[in-house]
Amino acid sequence: MRELLPVLIVVGILAALAVFGPFIAPNPPNAIDIPNRLAPPGGEYLLGTDAMGRCILSRLLHGARWSLGLAFLVSTIGLIAGSVLGLVAAMGGRTVDWAVMRVTDIFLAFPDLVAAVVVAGVLGAGTSSLIFALTVTGWMRYARVARGIGLGLATRGHVVQAQLAGLSGPAIARWHYVPALVPSLTVVWTGMLARAILGISALGFLGFGVQPPTPEWGTMLLDARVHIRSTPLQMIWPGMAVVFCVLAINITGDVLRDALTDRDAPA
Amino acid sequence: MNGAAELLLRSVVVLSGTAILTFILLWHAPGDPALTIAVARYDSVVSADVVDRIRTESGLDAGFWTAFSHWITPLLSGDLGNSSVSGRPIWPELRTAILLTLPLALMGLLIGLALSIPLAILAVRHPGGWIDRGAVALASLGAAMPAYWLALLLILAFAVKLLWFPAMGTGSAAHLVLPGLTLGLGVAASLTRILRSALLEAKGAPFLPALARRGVGPRERAFSHVAPHAAIPVLTVAGLELAFLLEGAVMVEVIFARPGLGGFLIHAIQARDFPKVQAVVMLTAILFVTVNLLTDLLYRLVDPRIGTRDA
Repeated sequence: MRELLPVLIVVGILAALAVFGPFIAPNPPNAIDIPNRLAPPGGEYLLGTDAMGRCILSRLLHGARWSLGLAFLVSTIGLIAGSVLGLVAAMGGRTVDWAVMRVTDIFLAFPDLVAAVVVAGVLGAGTSSLIFALTVTGWMRYARVARGIGLGLATRGHVVQAQLAGLSGPAIARWHYVPALVPSLTVVWTGMLARAILGISALGFLGFGVQPPTPEWGTMLLDARVHIRSTPLQMIWPGMAVVFCVLAINITGDVLRDALTDRDAPA
Repeated sequence: MNGAAELLLRSVVVLSGTAILTFILLWHAPGDPALTIAVARYDSVVSADVVDRIRTESGLDAGFWTAFSHWITPLLSGDLGNSSVSGRPIWPELRTAILLTLPLALMGLLIGLALSIPLAILAVRHPGGWIDRGAVALASLGAAMPAYWLALLLILAFAVKLLWFPAMGTGSAAHLVLPGLTLGLGVAASLTRILRSALLEAKGAPFLPALARRGVGPRERAFSHVAPHAAIPVLTVAGLELAFLLEGAVMVEVIFARPGLGGFLIHAIQARDFPKVQAVVMLTAILFVTVNLLTDLLYRLVDPRIGTRDA
């Protein structure tokens, strides 16, 4: 528990940057300043400028809203869809369980990033296909964990009693299953949030994600890649932003796992 | 229904589902596929007749299920079909791409194993010691590092600053070093974590001192008792690492301009050459389903407890 406070503070700062970043950015993210293109850090532009003379710091701060905000959205939709499916599998009897789990297997028969690339690429580049691609390839872990815990609950005394008392299925799910799912699913969610950040920037880097000129960390890396010889620092900043966020969220996940679940339970 | 037959049935269900879902996705892709093919083939403004002719030729005017059966029937006999853009058979091109990806994946796996096994063994010698903490920190950093950024950093260090290795292309063994290293460092990060916890768990198993006191020798303890227990996480890792290698290879090949499987897939998507996309998707799915099937069967061999309603 002692470790929980510092990591929560770091994550809180990241969330605040995603929300308020655009307001503290020193320059408009798409303002072009050709005379000052590829400027080194320092001076008027704190982290320098890109090939069009746009302020890198401002683009990073605006990009936080895209990279982190979209990751939050994608992993939360996956959380809801996946846990509902998992609970349906756990509470619906053997046939339903088998069917839902085979659908899960179909989606797991693929490395998720490759699947996301295919879906986003085929549907056409853009934010909505990015969200769809990452959600559709990111709900399975939640479903498996929710089902596993749900199956374990089905024979527990308080659940059986609730059934005998005539409580409806959805009500039992609401009052007896969901609270039991919260700790493990929170831990899974942090992992998926980190994966979503990596996925969004990877798709952006491949050109299938958020489209220019919108500042997003992956597309910023794509822009910076061409200038690796002349201004290598330009590609350092967005990469560091991704690594720092993913690392912070993963560490939070580890700390949460120790705090919320018993060590033996599969999370 | 809990034996090998059930597992086989599952594999068939998963493969059919993948085929149908992919086809649905591509069928509903935005844009007129016939027009895309026409533009790709003739590279100019095409008349409506040409587009209509292509539509009939490639069976796009037939319904969904007709088109699906036109694709799946040859596939079942091992024919991946022809590219919708060039009209040439897909398999020879795809095979060339796979043959470029294989050495990369192998190199990545070897580097990953060569780094992670000694690191994990050193780390668990003194759990909580500085080597252990360092190994965990490195593994966490590696897990947070996107492959494409690591690749750019390696290019910056070894190709731009030091000029040791070429940054792009294929041709010599030196071209394999940086892509292989990118992939290998990622593999090492995840393997170190998993191996470390597997070894820690195996070392701490309560039955080991009990066996020792009963006079079971260290050799028999290691082979008959520790090995089967440690085999389970190792088996799980095999499947995960395959996914990681494939995923990493896609990104790494794009960055290093290697015309392997990743480049093949990305180009096919950009050219909207859907038969090629389907071919890659189905091959990957078959590969994964086979590996998962083998893993599941091995699990049952290693651990007789597995098998009852465990999906």
